[in-house]
Amino acid sequence: MNKNSIFNGKFKLSKYSNIIFIIIAFLILAIFYFIPTPEGLTQNGKVMIGILLMAAILWIIEPIPLAVTGLLIMIIQPIMHVIPPNEVFSSFGSQAIFFLVGAFIIAGAVEKHGLHRRIALRFLSHFEKTPRIFTFGIMSSCAILSFVMPAHGVAALFLPIVVSILIAMKITPRQSNFGKVSMLCVAYGCSIGSIGTLIGGARNPLTIGLLSDLNPPINVTFFDWMIYSMPVVFISLPLVWVILQFSFPIEINDIYEAKKEINNQVIKAGKMSNKETIVLSILIITIFLWILFSSHQYFGLAVIALLGSILLFITKTINWNDVEKRVPWGIILLYGGAITLGIGIQKTGAGTWIVNALFNTVGINPFLVVIVIIILTVLLTNIMSNIGAVAILLPIGIAISTEIEFISPLLSAMIIAVGAGFAFMLVIATPGNAITYSSGYFSTKDLFKAGFISNIACILVIFFIAIVYWMWFLEI
Amino acid sequence: MFKDILVPISSEYYSKELLEKTAFLAQKFKSRVNLIYIIEEKVINQTGKLSNGYRTSDEIAQTKKDIIREQKLTADSIVFEDAKYFFKKRNIAFKEKIFEGEFSSVIKRETNRKEYNLILMGFEKECFLNYRLFDELDIPMWIQSKNEGNSILSICSNLAPNQKVPEVSIKLSKLLNLELNMLYVVDVEDSVQVDKNGKRSDKKSERDLLFNGQKFIDEMEKKEINIKLVKGSLEKITLKAAEEINPNLIIIGREQKKKGMLGLPIKNLKKKLAEKCKYSLLFVN
Repeated sequence: MNKNSIFNGKFKLSKYSNIIFIIIAFLILAIFYFIPTPEGLTQNGKVMIGILLMAAILWIIEPIPLAVTGLLIMIIQPIMHVIPPNEVFSSFGSQAIFFLVGAFIIAGAVEKHGLHRRIALRFLSHFEKTPRIFTFGIMSSCAILSFVMPAHGVAALFLPIVVSILIAMKITPRQSNFGKVSMLCVAYGCSIGSIGTLIGGARNPLTIGLLSDLNPPINVTFFDWMIYSMPVVFISLPLVWVILQFSFPIEINDIYEAKKEINNQVIKAGKMSNKETIVLSILIITIFLWILFSSHQYFGLAVIALLGSILLFITKTINWNDVEKRVPWGIILLYGGAITLGIGIQKTGAGTWIVNALFNTVGINPFLVVIVIIILTVLLTNIMSNIGAVAILLPIGIAISTEIEFISPLLSAMIIAVGAGFAFMLVIATPGNAITYSSGYFSTKDLFKAGFISNIACILVIFFIAIVYWMWFLEI
Repeated sequence: MFKDILVPISSEYYSKELLEKTAFLAQKFKSRVNLIYIIEEKVINQTGKLSNGYRTSDEIAQTKKDIIREQKLTADSIVFEDAKYFFKKRNIAFKEKIFEGEFSSVIKRETNRKEYNLILMGFEKECFLNYRLFDELDIPMWIQSKNEGNSILSICSNLAPNQKVPEVSIKLSKLLNLELNMLYVVDVEDSVQVDKNGKRSDKKSERDLLFNGQKFIDEMEKKEINIKLVKGSLEKITLKAAEEINPNLIIIGREQKKKGMLGLPIKNLKKKLAEKCKYSLLFVN
């Protein structure tokens, strides 16, 4: 990639490039199938490494949709006799899959009735004091909403809200730092918020799904996840906001027009309808149940998510048409592929072999290993989909925990899942960045500049949390 | 000189300075201005592509609609309002329109629909939009930059017909009251001579190229133009001279590039100059 394509994250390739990359991906798999098996690795382990590399290429370049790569991973394992078909497809029985389905249905109901917009406006109206505080309001509102619905949906929601406010304020695209900071606050607020709960990003359920498939299983509840991840959110959110303030000093002092526009939008939204009230009540009950009763001795995550979804159907606040419109089934297929990839890497011993090969040269200082995992995750999530980055790194991270003292599977899984949320530098890193970039208020250079500094700061935050909070305080 | 000016503004890149410059030039040349705001489809498609898998097609379509609606609002409330401010002050007639599509394609369609004498636009390297129109249109193209010097740097070379560049340079230097500095570059990396019709000759010796260059210089000196003969790479010399002179505008002609395998261009001089140069450029195509 040249410098230009690094900034905007585009690969300038011809229409044939997709076919070329598919061929390269399969060639790599074929090479791994036929080369002699290295010492310490089984034939199946060697093929699994080939599948991992093939998946990495397909998930980074995306010559085929992400979900189709997920399907390919599933079928290629039985075809190459690595894992039998019944084992591969049993990953769809994971409760994390049904948690995802339920969470998408609930988020769909929230979106259908415009409840998310009302919540967003309500949050924003509390931050109308100064332009700086207003940008913090945007960022924290995005983060908080990303706790209860997918981060990309939140970015799509905030784009028209923030653009109409900026237009009302006569803020010129590209030339105003206030415009830049406002839009970057949407992108980064959503990314940071998506770390906080299991709902914000599909990579979070993928992580707990893979952990629950370990032997012995590690069960992480909704509340556990929040306990682990919220400190990262609460430290990185203001930190990244401060970085944005220093990177693009805000040039305006008056926020009156923004206030007026928010009030207009609140008036336009009107009074809360009965259906909105019902959806809000079900959402609150579901979150409450997730926090208190999602452990295995009670109901588990999926049961509560599906209970919430069924309540929405019973109260007629959502129908099957809405589900068809609002549940991205592709992510479920992607999830299936990712989880079978993880299981295959573990079962064939490929993960352990990769770790031994890597850390024979790097050394086995656990602090060094932690920082290496964080940096690798942040780099990878910036050039590919974050769920793809987690799918590739998680099996390796779990294998690390079996080989290196002081690093547990839960610790390495949390480092990877949380690190994958920090996709700040490139437009292609996450849909949230692309959605906000389309507003025209910031350039790819602005995103790279702010994202690079923010990524360094967040790498240090994760490192600090991993060592002090997760390893030392929580002893995970 | 430039009766009808087309000013394309991409939703990906907007600069007020461009409108200010347009107003200034339109007043000088008594031009009519057509301002078009292009909602860049590449950016919207990229957003859709990235969301694919994470969001449903209905949600992606809704986001696309939202983006287009907000872009139209931005064009109406900010870009066209700025234009009114700059143009009405100077009594310049202008029309405005919003298009959805790919930057270069929209401009090409617009130039097919109506005859323009100049395209005046901004440039940003790190954009999704494609500037292939540099090589695909034969209308003069002015790439506005922020730097404002006091002279014109006019570039002629063995790689261009050198017909329009001197003519346009002289006119502009008089009209804009800017000192004219001209360079004739003998590009030793591509040792051919381009004739008046834009046809490349076979390889020539350095002596022949220098001889032709000297002939051109003699002609220009008769017209009392301050001109120098320089040997080297066209791109590097242009950039170096620009740094030394600090011009208001660099005027460059219809360079006939060397072709690579399968006849594909391997040198994209205009795009390279636009990327590397911090001064305004006028490609006299």
